[in-house]
Amino acid sequence: MADKKMNFFEKMQALDRRYIYLVVALAIIIPLLVPFNSRTYVTEPTENIYKKIDSFTGRNDRAVLLCFDHDASTMAELFPMEVAILRHCFERDIQVFTICFIPAAKPLMDYALQTAKEGYEVQSGIDYVNFGYRPWAIRIPIMLKMGDDISEAVEYDDEGRKLTNLPIMKEIMNYNEMNLIVDFAGSAAVLSWITYARAKFGANVAAGVTAVMAADNYIYLQTGQLTGMLGGLKGAAEYEKLVDVFACHMEPDENGVMQPAPRDFSKEIIKNTWIKMSDIKNRMHKTARIGMNAQTVAHLMIIVFIILGNIGYFISKRKKDKVN
Amino acid sequence: MKRQIPLLIVIILGFIFVIHVFVPHKASADFYDWYQTWIKAISPFMVLLGIMSLFMVHSTKIKRKVPNWQYSVITLASLIGTGAVGFIWGTQAGTPFMWLFKNVQMPMGATMFSLLAFYIASAAYKAFRARSAEATVLLIAAIIVMLGQVPIGIKISKLIPETSNWILNVPNLAAKRGIAMGVGLGMTATSLKILLGIERTYMGGGK
Repeated sequence: MADKKMNFFEKMQALDRRYIYLVVALAIIIPLLVPFNSRTYVTEPTENIYKKIDSFTGRNDRAVLLCFDHDASTMAELFPMEVAILRHCFERDIQVFTICFIPAAKPLMDYALQTAKEGYEVQSGIDYVNFGYRPWAIRIPIMLKMGDDISEAVEYDDEGRKLTNLPIMKEIMNYNEMNLIVDFAGSAAVLSWITYARAKFGANVAAGVTAVMAADNYIYLQTGQLTGMLGGLKGAAEYEKLVDVFACHMEPDENGVMQPAPRDFSKEIIKNTWIKMSDIKNRMHKTARIGMNAQTVAHLMIIVFIILGNIGYFISKRKKDKVN
Repeated sequence: MKRQIPLLIVIILGFIFVIHVFVPHKASADFYDWYQTWIKAISPFMVLLGIMSLFMVHSTKIKRKVPNWQYSVITLASLIGTGAVGFIWGTQAGTPFMWLFKNVQMPMGATMFSLLAFYIASAAYKAFRARSAEATVLLIAAIIVMLGQVPIGIKISKLIPETSNWILNVPNLAAKRGIAMGVGLGMTATSLKILLGIERTYMGGGK
C-alpha cells in the first residue's frame, strides 16, 4: 500500500506540464462562466482612495485626474478599477480628467470612459474632460507645468477644444484644485507623479496597479506619499463594492420604486452589507468581483500544486536516502 | 569632434539642469520654459525615428529571408494597416481603428499576460521545493500572501490576511528600501560620472 502511494507521488512528480495547464485553464474558466458569491473584504488603501474622491462630491473647485499608463496586456486587472472610479465620479457629480502618455493606452482610456458613461447623463467639457494622448517625452514637463496652470500644460482637450473655454475648467487652475491623481499602471510609472506632483506641489497621488507591482508601492503607501492604492483585481473588486454600497446605493421611495440614494462612507455599513452577484445587472460593474472568483480558485490550485510537488519531492528524497 | 561635441552638450546641459533645480531665479525658470517648447517640438521626431528603425530592421529581415521572416511581414503589414485605418477613419468610438483595438490588440495583449498564470502554476509545481531553510521560508510566505489576496484567506483565519500584510509591510519593505537606496546611490554615482565625462559608454563605439 505504501509503495502504491509512493508510486503515485513519483508519477505526479513527472507529470506532463500540459495537464497542469489544463487544470489551471479549467480553474480559471469555470468560475468566470459560473460566477459564485464570495465576500469582498475592503482594505484601508482602497478605502482611502474612495474617501478622498468622495470628498470632492459636488464641488466645482475640485477634480480628479486619472492617468492611464498601461496597455491591453494588463487590462484584466486595471480596466475594472478604472471603470469603478469613473462610475464613482459620474454618480457623485465629481469632476474628472483623463490623460495618457503611451499610445496604446489611448483606446483603453476612451473605452473606459464609454463604458462608465453608460446610464449617466454626463457631458464632455462639463462633467469630465479627456486630455487625450500626450507623448511620453513631454510627460515630466506636463506634470510640472500642471503645478502652475493646467490649461497651459495641456492647452487642448482630445476633441481639440481649448481648455480655457471649457466650463469644467472655470474653477480649476492647478494641483490645488485637481487635488488627486490616480495613476493606473503595470509598471513603476506612479513614481514620477510622486516625485514631481507630490513632492514639488503637494498633490495627492494614488495608484491603481497590477498585483505584481503592488509590493513595490507599499513603500510609498507607508510613508504617506501615496494616498491610497488599488492592488490588482483585489483592489478593483474592493472599489467596485464600495461604489455599489455607497455611491450607487438605491432605496425604495413611497411607491416602492428604487431611487438613487447615495450615502457617505461608513465601516459599519460595509461590515453588514452583502451584495449578491445576481443583484448587479450590468456585468461591467462586477467584472473584478467575478474575476476574484477565478483568482481564488487559481490561487488555491497553485497552493495545491506546491504542496503536492513538495510531498512528492520529500517522498523521492526519502526513498533515495534509504537506497544510499 | 564626433565624440567631443555630444560630450560637451551632455556636460553643459546636465549642469544647467542641476543648477535649475537648486536656483529658483527667473532666468532659470525662463530657461526651463524654453526647454519645454523644444521638447514638444522634438518629441514627434522620436516617433518618426522609431517607425524608421522598425521599417529598417524588418525590411532587412524580409530581404535576407532570415528564419521566421514571415513574422516581419505581419509586423509591417499591421503597422501600415493600423496606421492607415486610424488616419482614414479616425480613432473615435465606432471606427474601424477601435474595432481593431477591441478585437485584435485587446485579446492578444490579455492572452500574452494571462500566459503568466500557466507558467507560474507549472513552475510552482515543478520547481518550488522546500530544499533549504530559506526556500521553506519563501514557500510559506508565498502561500500566506497568496491566501491573503483572496477572500477565502480570511474565511480560513483572520491571521492569514494580517500575516500577509505584515510580510508585505515589514520584510518586503525592508528589502525594497535597501534595494532602492542602493539603486539611488548607484544612479547618483553614474550621473556624476556622466556629467564629469568619465562615463562615455552611452555614446557607443567601445571605449
